[in-house]
Amino acid sequence: MTETAVKPDIREIEEFLYREADFLDRGDLDGWIELYTEDASYWMPASPEQTDPFTHISLFYDDRLLMEIRRINFGHEYAASMAHPVRSTHIIGNVRLQSFDAATGEARVTSNFHVAMYYRGEQTLYAGRYTHDLVRQGNDWKIRHKRVDILTCDAPLKSIIIYL
Amino acid sequence: MTHYSAEHLRSLVEPHRVHRDVYIDPRIFDLEMERIWGRAWIYVGHESQVPNPGDYYATTIGREPVVMTRGRDGRVHVIYNRCGHKGAKVLSEGCGHAKGFRCPYHGWTYNLDGTLQGVPAKAGYDGTGFDMKDPQFHMQKVAQADSYRGFVFACLSPDTVDLKTFLGDAAATLDNMADRSPEGEVEVAGGPLRYVHDNNWKMFVENLNDAMHPMVAHSSVGQATKRLAAKLPKGAPYPREAEIIFPFNSSYQFFDEMGVTALPYGHGYMGGRMSIHSSYSDIPGYFESMCKAYGEEKAKEILSQNRHNTIFYPSFTAKDAIQAVRVVRPIAVDKTIIETWHFRLKGAPEEMLKRTILYSRLINSNASMVGPDDWDCYARMQEALKSNSMEWVDMRRGIGKEEQDNQALRSFGTSDLSFRNQYRAWLSYMTGEAA
Repeated sequence: MTETAVKPDIREIEEFLYREADFLDRGDLDGWIELYTEDASYWMPASPEQTDPFTHISLFYDDRLLMEIRRINFGHEYAASMAHPVRSTHIIGNVRLQSFDAATGEARVTSNFHVAMYYRGEQTLYAGRYTHDLVRQGNDWKIRHKRVDILTCDAPLKSIIIYL
Repeated sequence: MTHYSAEHLRSLVEPHRVHRDVYIDPRIFDLEMERIWGRAWIYVGHESQVPNPGDYYATTIGREPVVMTRGRDGRVHVIYNRCGHKGAKVLSEGCGHAKGFRCPYHGWTYNLDGTLQGVPAKAGYDGTGFDMKDPQFHMQKVAQADSYRGFVFACLSPDTVDLKTFLGDAAATLDNMADRSPEGEVEVAGGPLRYVHDNNWKMFVENLNDAMHPMVAHSSVGQATKRLAAKLPKGAPYPREAEIIFPFNSSYQFFDEMGVTALPYGHGYMGGRMSIHSSYSDIPGYFESMCKAYGEEKAKEILSQNRHNTIFYPSFTAKDAIQAVRVVRPIAVDKTIIETWHFRLKGAPEEMLKRTILYSRLINSNASMVGPDDWDCYARMQEALKSNSMEWVDMRRGIGKEEQDNQALRSFGTSDLSFRNQYRAWLSYMTGEAA
């Protein structure tokens, strides 16, 4: 944490979110995981307004351990689901800095997203809202927690093969 | 509707194989909706989804829209979700609460048991023979509805055995799930996972007692987890995630020892005393709460039952030791929605529910590293069974090695016994013979 943490420039945060999206669009989970802190979590609720990932089912709730397992599993030769190309393109907008704590360097950022994903002969559109809890590390950011609320979280869905 | 004769249907099922048409022919699917899903007891929901009078849960049985409601008298009803007037679906799917039901189209109103309460401008019906009390104008009751330990089933046909007979020894799974609560009751914990599958419903049901696939289809996540576990400091306990994932990579011998049991009506289960769930570490306070409720001996006996997946053919599967169930909702010959519901053991530490949720997120979720591999294999079957290169699907493994145990047949775990048993029931339903 820098003692001189000043309210961050929204452009800089947007640039960081685009960078994360770019790792996912390129299927580069090695690069993607480095954007996360050691105590990070990635949450995709299965219910709108869900408040708890532990006593209600979620689509994803990965801590760093599960992120690491998923990184190794992604594209694994023995996983039938991984034998097909996965391509995605993220569009992120309406990026807003919701809060920033100069003392800790922690920021909460919300944004809207459209992710078009191609998998198994179909293109699927996922849309919704991101909530990123970021933490200043030097001149850069890391993600401590990311919440992904998709509009269709409680609708019948097919397999979701990679992080959004 | 369809022109398949009983003789033709019988020609699709041989002792050791089934014809591919059972998975890919849309006319067979239509017949199944009528003869299996219209005749068997089908799981609707759990009573805890409608705890108070006026609560309802709208869902489907096969292609039929139905509603489970709690009446003013506290009784649970299952009625068709169709207005007695012009046929609109009265309630949209999901849970809700109402004093009564009102069709949004012409405003006919119904009591919680589906009987007609009122119609607007009723004088217009004078002299037409219209009678509010005549059931033909009501939301129709299903032929039979009953519950077992809070699990509500309905049967669209009046000519079926009662629920208890239908469930047989499969009921012991529901008993055990409820008995694992110190209060002897479970309750639904939140909404389900809903997973669209591009395959015939029977492939999913078969897979639940298929012990030859886990070590193959799920080897990647096991290997990935093992690689990370190797990095843990020496002597460090395995994280709960690893404890859940590793048993999926158990050996053929392990699954053989688990055993498979086939029951009447196509039901069955794997395991019994041991399963992929029986080596989980204890959750603090749980065993104590069970001893307090039942006494130590009885508590140990309850916890010693450990069935892997129990199939309640055709609509429902349950894990007693995990308190998660899967509900099968066939949509078309090649489309099925699988719902996973989770249960809280009343009176048990909340950690028990957390493990149930963790298990399901790791194994059943659309975004897990297990479910999508099953999904993919089913889809591959649905795609390649269209190939004209072969007509039959083989299920002969272990044939002739079953042992009769009263009404049950038992065999080694990797036997195809469960599949053969399901198709015996399938044929009985489809040809109209007793199961």
